Amino acid sequence: MLVVCAEARAEDYVSVRGAYYRETSTRVIQPMVEVERDSPGQGVDVTAHYLVDAITSASASAGVGVDSLFTEIRNDVGLAIRKRWERTDASIGYRYSSESDYWSHSFGGSVDHRFWGDTAQLSLALGVNLDSLTARGRTPYCAAAGSFSCSLDGYYGGLTYTQVWSPVLITQVSGESLFLDGFQGNVYRSVPNFGYERLPSERLRLAASGRVAYYMPSMSTGIQFQYRYYHDLWPGSSPSGSDPWNINGHTFELRVSHEIARDFEVRLSYRQYFQDSASFWCDALVRTDCYGQGAIWYSTDPKLGSMHTEYPEVKVFWEAERLANVPVLRWFARGTFEISYGVYFQSTGFGDAKLLQAGYRMPY
Amino acid sequence: MSLLRLVSLVAALGALAGCAHRPPPVQPWQREYLAKRAMRFDADPQEDRFRQHWLGAREGSDLGYGSPGGGCGCN
Repeated sequence: MLVVCAEARAEDYVSVRGAYYRETSTRVIQPMVEVERDSPGQGVDVTAHYLVDAITSASASAGVGVDSLFTEIRNDVGLAIRKRWERTDASIGYRYSSESDYWSHSFGGSVDHRFWGDTAQLSLALGVNLDSLTARGRTPYCAAAGSFSCSLDGYYGGLTYTQVWSPVLITQVSGESLFLDGFQGNVYRSVPNFGYERLPSERLRLAASGRVAYYMPSMSTGIQFQYRYYHDLWPGSSPSGSDPWNINGHTFELRVSHEIARDFEVRLSYRQYFQDSASFWCDALVRTDCYGQGAIWYSTDPKLGSMHTEYPEVKVFWEAERLANVPVLRWFARGTFEISYGVYFQSTGFGDAKLLQAGYRMPY
Repeated sequence: MSLLRLVSLVAALGALAGCAHRPPPVQPWQREYLAKRAMRFDADPQEDRFRQHWLGAREGSDLGYGSPGGGCGCN
């Protein structure tokens, strides 16, 4: 929707947000603040964010084989700068994430170009991820000689085309790829009879998606639908002689937004996801001998097996103009409150999860 | 590059070039509805970021939200 709103969105704002994720064995609390400062005269926008994840899990291997409770804190900061011209935007950004045993540096850049009377837009995004990780209390097997940490590098590229067709219809198609090279597992998760899991070190992730949005003025209702196809593979010839990945994923999502009043909007959404398993994976927690003695790779990670998830959610937005005459609270009158609640149904051993999110965004 | 791919590429570029000579399907004063939150694909980047975080930890097909995932640490 950059096609329509590139100029309109150029505003200074501060946004605070909180998210709570509750699962049988895992809790995540995430407070976040984001600030954007624009310089309309120079066409430069600067956005910065800071968030904290407090993750409490019953097991270091995240959900299976309960050991003991532990809490992990993750800090995440990011800075992005965007330069706007008449028909073209260019952005660069940096993000740093830190945990006690995982550190990540992300560098990214993108270029957007609008044409055909600003009804079409082509966007190119490129990025690099440089991650390193270790294990608490020991040196993980994936560490290079003389080092205490393992590495995971990622190289991202994405191309998106957005087209406005009418005053109420807009579509978008995109293709993305991410090549990963390094340790891609969990240094704490183990496999019966084998020890700590070992995953293929190279992976090319590919995704293609299509979106359509349609608005019905007479009903004050907008509908969005998205389909996404995902496939991954080992690029080239793998050590095992066959592709160890080969996961196929299908995502369908429908969103219906309805303006109940000028300042009050409700959004209902429903997401469904199907996935088949990685070629090398088998469920060693159900059948402990499913990996042969000569197996190069083995894992008990549920998200590498076949699965099905569903996520219905309800979200409301409230433009707080009515607070303008309320003492003290009038400071919030220029902003927008939002709150959402959803249930994430999973076919894996993680069990179902509940998500509650709330936020407030105010221009300044 | 196969002949079929070359023809497809030329056709796609031709279609895009043709757009420059046709009037746009929507004029600036017709964009009231397109500017609504319900019609924006990128209306809430923070929501997308959090979504990428937990879905990336629970599903095998991370990727698809406009940036590499990095830093989750929740493999």
